[in-house]
Amino acid sequence: MPETPAEDLLRELAPQVLGALVRRYGHFDTAEDAVQEALIAAADGWPRDGVPENPRAWLITVASRRLTDLLRREQARMRREDTVARWVLPEQWRAPAADRPPADADDTLILLFLCCHPALSAASQIALTLRAVGGLSTAEVARAFLVPEATMTRRISRGKQRIRDSGLRFAPPTGPERADRLAAALHVLYLIFTEGYARTAGPGLLRADLTAEAIRLTRLLHRLLPEDPEVTGLLALMLLTDARAPARIGPHGELVPMAEQDRSRWRADQIAEGVELITGALPRGVVGAYQVQAAIAAVHDEAPSAAATDWAQITALYEVLLTMSDNPVVALNHAVAVAMSRGAPAGLALLADLADDPRLADDPRLPAARAHLWELEGERVAAREAYRMAAARSTNLAQQRYLNARAERLAGDPPPAG
Amino acid sequence: MILLYGSQQDYDVLSGRASDRPAMSAEQIAAMHRHMETFHQALAESGELVDARGLSEPVHARRVQVREGAPVVTDGPYPETQEVLAGYTIVECASFDRATEIAAGLVDPDAPGGYVDVRPVLDGVEDLAG
Repeated sequence: MPETPAEDLLRELAPQVLGALVRRYGHFDTAEDAVQEALIAAADGWPRDGVPENPRAWLITVASRRLTDLLRREQARMRREDTVARWVLPEQWRAPAADRPPADADDTLILLFLCCHPALSAASQIALTLRAVGGLSTAEVARAFLVPEATMTRRISRGKQRIRDSGLRFAPPTGPERADRLAAALHVLYLIFTEGYARTAGPGLLRADLTAEAIRLTRLLHRLLPEDPEVTGLLALMLLTDARAPARIGPHGELVPMAEQDRSRWRADQIAEGVELITGALPRGVVGAYQVQAAIAAVHDEAPSAAATDWAQITALYEVLLTMSDNPVVALNHAVAVAMSRGAPAGLALLADLADDPRLADDPRLPAARAHLWELEGERVAAREAYRMAAARSTNLAQQRYLNARAERLAGDPPPAG
Repeated sequence: MILLYGSQQDYDVLSGRASDRPAMSAEQIAAMHRHMETFHQALAESGELVDARGLSEPVHARRVQVREGAPVVTDGPYPETQEVLAGYTIVECASFDRATEIAAGLVDPDAPGGYVDVRPVLDGVEDLAG
């Protein structure tokens, strides 16, 4: 990840330069190689000779020359192979249409939409986005996902191949297609974030960088589309969730549940920014799932303690979320919120309705939620059994240790009544 | 490929499940994670690491057999004492001796009788055909 100002600048410029090249010449895959080479030349030369006056123009010029070389070589190869199709090299400095001077911002956005095209697998979308829009090297993307570099190279070239085969144009999608593509892009950014966030506990700390990268890219998208309430919602959700990261892990790498976290260690600046973003977005019209989740996160983050949380408001927000998606995990979280606002029996009744949902059959979350509520009710034996069942269903060692410890705590003699 | 072994009981000790051996403390777990991480980081930096994975505990395993042409799936194995594959590390290095040297770093010096196995990975079906 970048450490020097020059590297920061290069990563910021990378998607703009790639976007400009693809808009002028097409050939996403070859353009990408050319831009990588220009970036390497800059990373090598700039610290020695100083940053040029217009670094963006410098990069575009160098990358264009390189692209022309690569395309000529390709063309020569094709002639040698006696290809029937005749391929004309694009005019080197053709100006964009006079009636639509494309802003640099548009290029980055179209690039993001291209990388998140539905023809690509989720893994390819993520890899291409990190590489083309995030400006990470293949080695960095591979390290972040803990796969060998060769595997990631194959994944990225497959993605580029698919883009080439599908004949996708480098143009902004319009109408309903644009909304779909934006939704796909938001989902990819969300997946990058959760990959980093869920891994914070395990070995492989390198993935923690992914949350930072997801926030950086979502910020970039928010700058391009400041009026879109769901983009704002997603950025707020990431900031409000990531704000708790310093308190989530105990001194020995164990998970600390939210109720037991030291709230003084939450990042106040991120909470303030997230709350401001979501407060501004919510009244602006169409409310989507990211905004509602951000609102829930904001209520948690603003509470001075777990006990002082506004559970009634969280319950109401989960009810809004339930109308948007048929997701058993949302239903489960809603049941817990109901238990906190109206008492454990009301929550347990809702959880009983979920017992037959096959999507939760192997999931440790349902027995874990039951165990918590039974413990609140003082049903120690039932709670202990449910904790043990949740631990047996979990394949995550940190989670198992937490659940088994809760079960063990209930194994001793009950405290004296009164 | 370096093969690491463990029994269901080893997993119980790791996960804090009640068993006849005391559970590992959070400090011990953290120290183990630190060791594994430093170890694999060093291999990644020397360019010798290809892949490393841990496997989930054997109670999550499914055994697949085919009886009278129909696949039969059972839970388990549940080996309480017997050791099963618990994880692996694939390295690409100069020699079999170097791989052996690396493997020694994955043996727990505090576990008497502990061991790992090192076996060369075949390149493809040609290696089997000879």
